[in-house]
Amino acid sequence: MTVKNTTVIDVKHVFKTYFMDGGNSQQVLKDINFQVKSGEFVAIMGPSGSGKSTLMNILGCLDKPTSGTYILDGQDISAKTDMELAKVRGQTIGFVFQNFNLMMKRTIADNVSLPLIYQNIEEKERYKRAVKMLERVNLQGYQDRLPSQISGGMQQRVAIARALINNPAIIFADEPTGNLDSKTSDEIMDLFTDLNKQGITIVLVTHEDDVADFATRMIKISDGHKVYDGLRKEYSKEKETKC
Amino acid sequence: MLKAILKEAWISIAAYKLRTFLTMLGIMIGVAAVVMMVSAGQAVQTKITQTFASMGSNLIIIGPAEIVSGGVRGGRGLPSVTVADTEALKNLKDVDATSYIMPAAVQAVYGSSNYGVSVRGTNPEFLEINNWEIEEGVMFTDKDVKAAKPYAVIGQTVVDELFGLQNPIGKTLRLKGKPFMVIGTLKEKGDGLMGDDQDNVILMPWTTVRQRLEGSERPQFTNIAFVKASTEEKMESVAKRVEYMLRTRHRLKEGVKNDFTIRLMTEMVEKVRSVGFILSALLAAIASISLVVGSIGIMNMMLVSVTERTREIGTRKALGAPNNWIMTQFLAESILISFIGSFIGMIFGVIFSQIGGMALGYEVPISIWSVIVSVTVAVVVGIVSGLMPALKAMRLNPIDALRYQ
Ligand SMILES: Nc1ncnc2c1ncn2[C@@H]1O[C@H](COP(=O)(O)OP(=O)(O)OP(=O)(O)O)[C@@H](O)[C@H]1O
Ligand SMILES: [Mg+2]
Repeated sequence: MTVKNTTVIDVKHVFKTYFMDGGNSQQVLKDINFQVKSGEFVAIMGPSGSGKSTLMNILGCLDKPTSGTYILDGQDISAKTDMELAKVRGQTIGFVFQNFNLMMKRTIADNVSLPLIYQNIEEKERYKRAVKMLERVNLQGYQDRLPSQISGGMQQRVAIARALINNPAIIFADEPTGNLDSKTSDEIMDLFTDLNKQGITIVLVTHEDDVADFATRMIKISDGHKVYDGLRKEYSKEKETKC
Repeated sequence: MLKAILKEAWISIAAYKLRTFLTMLGIMIGVAAVVMMVSAGQAVQTKITQTFASMGSNLIIIGPAEIVSGGVRGGRGLPSVTVADTEALKNLKDVDATSYIMPAAVQAVYGSSNYGVSVRGTNPEFLEINNWEIEEGVMFTDKDVKAAKPYAVIGQTVVDELFGLQNPIGKTLRLKGKPFMVIGTLKEKGDGLMGDDQDNVILMPWTTVRQRLEGSERPQFTNIAFVKASTEEKMESVAKRVEYMLRTRHRLKEGVKNDFTIRLMTEMVEKVRSVGFILSALLAAIASISLVVGSIGIMNMMLVSVTERTREIGTRKALGAPNNWIMTQFLAESILISFIGSFIGMIFGVIFSQIGGMALGYEVPISIWSVIVSVTVAVVVGIVSGLMPALKAMRLNPIDALRYQ
């Protein structure tokens, strides 16, 4: 893997507060700062409810910070309209979810090529690219089947192929192995490692140490604060501080 | 892009065949009902127009007085206008011709066939006044009327029923056991407004009816008298003169009500037309209730669909779907459903109204209106019932949508 010196993610003083019905509010992210360089493989860890998904949603341009700035690939995301955010999601980012989120009634090729529809790409071309992308995740020949006919690990690979189809600079994955057994989970992580070697920046959230071990860098969140940011292999509980 | 949206919409609704079909059924029934009602209304209008057109123009029709008791109309009084009255009216200014009907309902017999027929005693002008024509043979003359000749001019139904394929001219048929010679046949008129058979008729001199069928003790009253004005514009003034003359002849004092009624054909046409129009508008309005129900069905299904597909919507948005794409797709789904439903409904509506028209002997026009109504309905219903669900889908926050279980 080659880490270049270009910054793709720049998070500065990001706060996120959820305002609930009835006037209650909850501050979930508290002054988060970090940068990710092109080609990095980052694992975000932390206890349940610490704000990992909240952070991922902001990084993935699905949500905006309450305050602070987020610059993705040189663009200030905090200032963009919904329409522009949709464009960024479709062109710069690939998303992988814990529960795959495939359309069960549509073929695997339809699922993989879904993001291309929103880039106004012709149906034939979409299919061609889906077939190619399935080869990349070792699912050649599965294009015309339905997701229900394949295993969970394969479904997640379909989802990864879908995330890759727009040639994104970054892939965000929120607990991509959360629904898989450890063997399948290793296969998926091997795939991410391969993709990372090909130069794609990967940021994933995980609970599991084994999964985090595939990453080089680790960011730990606790109660909305960043408490560790460094090499994964150098991490130890004692090194945690609010940073 | 529109093509891709339509395709996505189509695949989505095709994925739930039964549900989509049942939803379409509501719109199908609604549109079919509206098309059928509009067709029925048009068929009746056409019929009315044709019938009146064939009845002769500039006619003033004089009938018995209406009986009014306690403010309630109680049917018709006794005939009061005599043949002599009618003959006198002929001399009024701007009157072209007059005629009258002295009816008798009897059985007509020829050989072994017999048939219930409407016999009308009248004068030769009857044909001109009512726009009737002779098919074969001749009409009786004023001379025949004076001499009360036992002549009959018969309608096509009578020809068919009594004579079949034989030529009836010169043959003798019997009414109440008395012989009458067929001297002419009438051109076919078709059914009247009420579905009555206008060809089941025998015309003969009124004097003949009086002497041979009714017995001469019956006074010379007519059931209905016709006055033909020279032009449509003169009808009003002629009607006034007719009223004046009849009141004078009947010696009605001032303040005494007319013992007859006068109607202008033009007024009757208008009245019947407007009743027909109101009736068909009413039918269409009732039928469109089923359209409203159908569109509520679509809205309901689309709302369920948006809720069910919350995760799908979230995923699509996370993968780059702009909000307006999502909205357009859901709108396209409801429009497709209502469009296809309307189209099928229109076809069934046209087919059923043609079948119905054939069964009832009405000529039902296949109108451009059916198409316009259905297409308009399709688009309007699709948009109206799809808008709320589509907006709901559009406004879904992708994060909430992805968290939705
Ligand atoms: N949309 C929301 N509205 C209100 N509160 C929310 C919302 N999303 C998350 N929260 C709250 O914010 C906190 C952090 O949630 P988040 O999902 O980011 O945690 P997490 O670290 O991803 O946890 P897990 O490991 O269980 O996935 C939780 O207390 C959660 O209840
Ligand atoms: Mg989470």
